[in-house]
Amino acid sequence: MSDRADTKARRDREEHWRAHLRSAQDGDGRAYAQLLSELLPMLRRIVTHKWPNAPDIEDVVQEVLVSLHTVRHTYDPNRPFMPWFMTITTRRIADAARRRYARSTNETTVDVMPETFSGDETKTEQETSDDQEALRKVMSTLPDGQRQAIDLLKIQGLSLQEASQITGKSVASLKVAVHRAIKAMRDALERKT
Amino acid sequence: MQTEELIRTLTSDCAPVRPLAHPGWRAAAWFAISLGYVAAVVAAIGLRPDISSKLADLKFLLEVGAAFLTSMMAAAAAFCAGCPGRPVWERFAPVPFLALWLASLGQGCWREWLAAGAAGLAIRPDLVCFPIIVAIGIIPGLLIFIMIRRGAPIAPFSTMGLAALAAAALGAAALRLLHTEDASIMVLVWQFGSVALLTGLEALFGRFFLRWPTLQEALAADRRVAR
Repeated sequence: MSDRADTKARRDREEHWRAHLRSAQDGDGRAYAQLLSELLPMLRRIVTHKWPNAPDIEDVVQEVLVSLHTVRHTYDPNRPFMPWFMTITTRRIADAARRRYARSTNETTVDVMPETFSGDETKTEQETSDDQEALRKVMSTLPDGQRQAIDLLKIQGLSLQEASQITGKSVASLKVAVHRAIKAMRDALERKT
Repeated sequence: MQTEELIRTLTSDCAPVRPLAHPGWRAAAWFAISLGYVAAVVAAIGLRPDISSKLADLKFLLEVGAAFLTSMMAAAAAFCAGCPGRPVWERFAPVPFLALWLASLGQGCWREWLAAGAAGLAIRPDLVCFPIIVAIGIIPGLLIFIMIRRGAPIAPFSTMGLAALAAAALGAAALRLLHTEDASIMVLVWQFGSVALLTGLEALFGRFFLRWPTLQEALAADRRVAR
């Protein structure tokens, strides 16, 4: 008995929507607004069911509504309404999912935006101070010759000839000392992080 | 925009729309116009010299008839594919005629193999087939493309593929009336092959040419209709 009542209710609803869409095709805006408003709750349920992880269900619902609107002339009044409606809805949801997936493959989601390490303007004062402290500590572990070479050439900014005159070492040995000092410092900093 | 507001936007000033005609009628209209155009092209170029004897050949009639029917049914299937809610089997409507066309060519190849052995299946270059099929099929192709864009893009690949099949099969059928090439293997490779290639290539562009409009495009189209 209840099955028969359900079937009758479905048939009545189908006929009601068919009549409204026919009126919408004839330019009856009120019937059209009523049809779309009545379809809206069902549309939200279908989108949630077909695409449970949709990032924004309401956006997809709106895309389906726009699609129904643009192809309302493809409805044949002599054919049932629900297959027409369901075909557009399921195809449009699949299309939206495909496009969002295609877009997401070209995007990288990050919690914290990456910052450059060299520019001081991108760091907080605390980060700058932490960097300097770490460098001082690593420098203190270098052999005397390498530490002096770094101090003269990289911190004081002297030329190789000037540093050579001060230390009495050759230019070539200063270059080797700087190279080895930088490598040792880099290794030490990487170990710390 | 809220969804309720979107509904108000879509339904205010709702212009009447003319429902699409039945796919069968649209296919008949396309085929009639395209056939008229193809007949004019064939008349302008001139029929093959042995046409009277060919028209008495049952195999030739079967092959050309199957190509014409493939074209007509592919057009009907393309229009059905743009109507939401229609059964999916309708998209396979040209398959029996395509199979008949292929079978008649296959039977010809088999007969030539029995008659002349491997020499009967020798493939020679015949590069005029592809450009002639494209040249004859381009106007019917453009016409069917304009017509399928009125439908819904629910199956863009199959709709474009079927539309291309309709136009290319018509071009291939017309070519049989113009070009004196009757070796089945040559027709199979160069003519049927051209149809298959064009169908496949155009199907690949389905999603590019047939896509759902955005809200802005939909509202712009409404404004054009209202004017």
